[in-house]
Amino acid sequence: MKPRLSAVVLLLLSWGACALHAAPDAGEAAVRRTLARAILAEGAEQQSLLGEVSESGSKLAHDVLAAWTRDGVYLYHPTASSSVPVLLEDQLDAQGKARAVRIDDGHIVTDARGGELRFDPNTLDTADTDMRLRSTIQQALDALTLADPDPDARRAAVVKLGNSQKLKYIAILEARRPREPVADVRKAIDESIALLELGETDPQVKIQAIHRLTQLKSMGSLDRLKAMADNPATQPLVAQAAAAALLELQRHIERVNFFGTIFRGASLGSVLLVVALGLAITFGLMGIINMAHGEMIAVGAYTCYVVQNLFGSGFRFAITLPFSFFGRQVGFGLNLPGLNAGGWFYQSYFLFAIPLSFVAGALAGLALERTVIRFLYRRPLESLLATWGVSLFMQQCFRMVFGANNVQVDSPSWLLGHFSIDDVSFGYNRVFVIGFAIVIVLGTWLLLTRTPLGLLIRSVMQNRDMAACMGVRTDRVNMFTFAFGSGLAGLAGAFLSQIGNVGPSLGQNYIVDSFMVVVVGGVGSIVGTVCASLGIGTVDQVLQQLLESPVVGKITVLVAIIFFLQWKPGGLFTTKSRSLD
Amino acid sequence: MTNKLRLVFAFAAAAVLGAGASAHAQDKVIKVGILHSLSGTMAISETSLRDILLYSFDQINAQGGVMGYKIEPVIVDGASNWPNFAEKAKELLEQDKVAVIFGCWTSVSRKYVLPVVEKDNGMLFYPVQYEGEEQSKNIFYTAEAVGQQATPAVDYLLDQGKKKFFLVGTDYVYPRTTNLVLLKYLLLHGVPIENIGGGLDKDSSGKVISAGTYTPFGWTDYQQIVSQIKQFAASGDACVLNTINGDSNVAFFKEIVAAGLSPSDCPVVSFSLAEDELRSMPTKDLVGELGCWTYFQSLDTPENKTFLAGWNNWLTTENYSGVVKEKRAVDSPMVLSYDGAYLWKAAVEKAGTFDVDAVRKVLESGSISFAGPGGLITMQANHHATKNVYIGETKANGQFKILKTFNQVYGEPWLLKGLDEKLAAQGK
Repeated sequence: MKPRLSAVVLLLLSWGACALHAAPDAGEAAVRRTLARAILAEGAEQQSLLGEVSESGSKLAHDVLAAWTRDGVYLYHPTASSSVPVLLEDQLDAQGKARAVRIDDGHIVTDARGGELRFDPNTLDTADTDMRLRSTIQQALDALTLADPDPDARRAAVVKLGNSQKLKYIAILEARRPREPVADVRKAIDESIALLELGETDPQVKIQAIHRLTQLKSMGSLDRLKAMADNPATQPLVAQAAAAALLELQRHIERVNFFGTIFRGASLGSVLLVVALGLAITFGLMGIINMAHGEMIAVGAYTCYVVQNLFGSGFRFAITLPFSFFGRQVGFGLNLPGLNAGGWFYQSYFLFAIPLSFVAGALAGLALERTVIRFLYRRPLESLLATWGVSLFMQQCFRMVFGANNVQVDSPSWLLGHFSIDDVSFGYNRVFVIGFAIVIVLGTWLLLTRTPLGLLIRSVMQNRDMAACMGVRTDRVNMFTFAFGSGLAGLAGAFLSQIGNVGPSLGQNYIVDSFMVVVVGGVGSIVGTVCASLGIGTVDQVLQQLLESPVVGKITVLVAIIFFLQWKPGGLFTTKSRSLD
Repeated sequence: MTNKLRLVFAFAAAAVLGAGASAHAQDKVIKVGILHSLSGTMAISETSLRDILLYSFDQINAQGGVMGYKIEPVIVDGASNWPNFAEKAKELLEQDKVAVIFGCWTSVSRKYVLPVVEKDNGMLFYPVQYEGEEQSKNIFYTAEAVGQQATPAVDYLLDQGKKKFFLVGTDYVYPRTTNLVLLKYLLLHGVPIENIGGGLDKDSSGKVISAGTYTPFGWTDYQQIVSQIKQFAASGDACVLNTINGDSNVAFFKEIVAAGLSPSDCPVVSFSLAEDELRSMPTKDLVGELGCWTYFQSLDTPENKTFLAGWNNWLTTENYSGVVKEKRAVDSPMVLSYDGAYLWKAAVEKAGTFDVDAVRKVLESGSISFAGPGGLITMQANHHATKNVYIGETKANGQFKILKTFNQVYGEPWLLKGLDEKLAAQGK
């Protein structure tokens, strides 16, 4: 167990333990006794006792049940044949032992002479649970969590009760509804009540419930309604209503899928755009077939990993070269101490990682340009081979420094999760990539069209010799342009670390897509790259939806691209330039 | 090069050769092949198998070798390139003349190696869970057959009250065949066909030939699939049977978390994620998801404790190049490789020869067992192995908490035929 998680559990336990010390009133004493019996009972008796507990609405019951699902309830055996369920306090003494609190009466466990006993949490038996028992406990907890301060937790609890098909929960939900302050949760309560009412015997109640489910656009009720409509035993009126509701819901799902697909297309397109934009500069504008583009992306992703570790426990590596030099093992290493940050500061590591990824990508690009590419500007095919070699070399470097396995990059908490509008869900990371793409495209566009450097870049890319005659230091401009393109690739890497894995072959997964986007968009055109990536992204998602198979979808896209390039060999936006002729 | 220098080199070369020859004179040596991907996309999983094999050979050699012969491993790199596996297997059998090969991870690589070992009458031990429907006289499968992994997992989920099953996998032979078996198995256990998600492939006559959604190796875009799962699971009691292989799993689980699907709503059972893969995954995103294997590192048995202590000790002392020493985990494919080495050793010793035909005869007799870290494993006449099956739940530290044990499950490669017959008997 990681320290942080165990701290949470201990916190919960101490919370429970504190509550246990409170002066017991008559109701609480009864809850305690039922709880203790429920923990020791088995099978049907356990289920019914848990049902009793769930109706108590007691905070104490909630804490004990929550501890139980986390293996936090222990069994103390005063004699060989008897067991007493206990919670352990979070205060551990020097031997790592803690006092135990009996669940049945709230007292500290003592020996025969009244001395307090202490237990090691690792050796004491835990009250075992399996998945089925946990789901029963969960249901009891759900009834109890209807009063949880967190609206999301309340909603999740409501939905679960709605799916339980147990009519007794209708009363619990109806009791909760007027006290529920959040509209969203009230909607979920309505839906769950209607779902539960489908199980009533009176056809009128059923039909009304179906109508309400239709109004609420309840996707969760789809299976139940389908079963009712198809079942010949259903009363004809009810079956009719169910069939009508099904039609309406299916229309709703189609709408959700339509907007969902557009959003997913935009987000996939943005990923493609972010990945290919750097290549649009180095290949599109400069005409270098840069096979090491993918590795520039990986540089950015690994930068993210390093920054994350610097915010955590530090980053270190040591390499011993596989050969000896004059009889000595040669190696080098690096040991950077970490900040050991926690909380929001740790979560903000990604904001620091983004600019650093750009810098790292740009520096790698600069080095590549100075050492290899500047000798090959007039020999594009040889640059293909040379950069491919560089790509293999860099992959091996990643393996030596970071290991052959993928590394873990944690997503900051503000990139996890999603929000929904009318059942279309928008993942925060996906929304982020769309915004990210917009920002870097705008930035690139401004740099190329609104700055003196951009002017120089464009002039050199249009006609290198002519620009040189006009006194432009083409050598230096090439260097900057290539570094900038590589920096963009680094940015892409920072983002990709949030949606996928980071490993030595990360770049290989994206190099083909990058070239595809740039070629379809029209070599040399940034606008083309933008249009191509968004187009390919959307078409890909639509085909996935229609053909119900990612593989066939992808193949269809590739075949379509082949035909498209037959029709328009120059891509979407053809650049007229002498250097490209 | 001057003549003098040349002379020096010649002497040096002679000295090296001489040293080699004298070493051979002292020890009787038997060559054994290790055929795994040490580079490319599968290297993440397969390098660990090379490491555990080196450990088992060192351990066997320290105990006196096999019939007094020291094992000399010949390591070749399959490089995640399937035809390359066939070439390397040929090289091992025809040039190096190895007595046995331990190797392969993906079923595709095994399918490439199969004709080679059959032609040259070699012997291959295959350690990774696979789809069944194969039984070569030259391959011994210590691997989990579908009946030792996927169907016990389904039994467990049905027992836990799950009613809807979504099938998703990587597009190659193992997930496709496994999902076909699962489809039939679920139908046989009364799960209606509309409760099986992921899509059904039908042939022209409308007969269902396959089920599930598939993505290529290295796929990173799981938005569409996860949104389908979300709609599928909206009505509750659903679960996902995941046969996605390799690092696509990271993208898949990140998307699952982003969509807010928690294991208590809709657990994911992964058949290709073991402790070793979890080392390089964001395990926080996977807490509570399920796994099913014939070994878990968290097994609390004396055999497993001894094994782990020995392995950790070996890691600190060995000096092979490329073996990562830190943050190592042990998982089922590794243990089944290890078991394979010991089963082979036991069979050779019983046969009294390294001859492939003789060793095979002994292995097929059903008398060769090994008390491995995951429990007793016995080679059966059908080249598969009887062993224990465990269901576990992922914890934040990348280990599994064991939820259920199925004792001594028989390894049956031909599940489809039996299922078809039973389904026909039920009139489905």
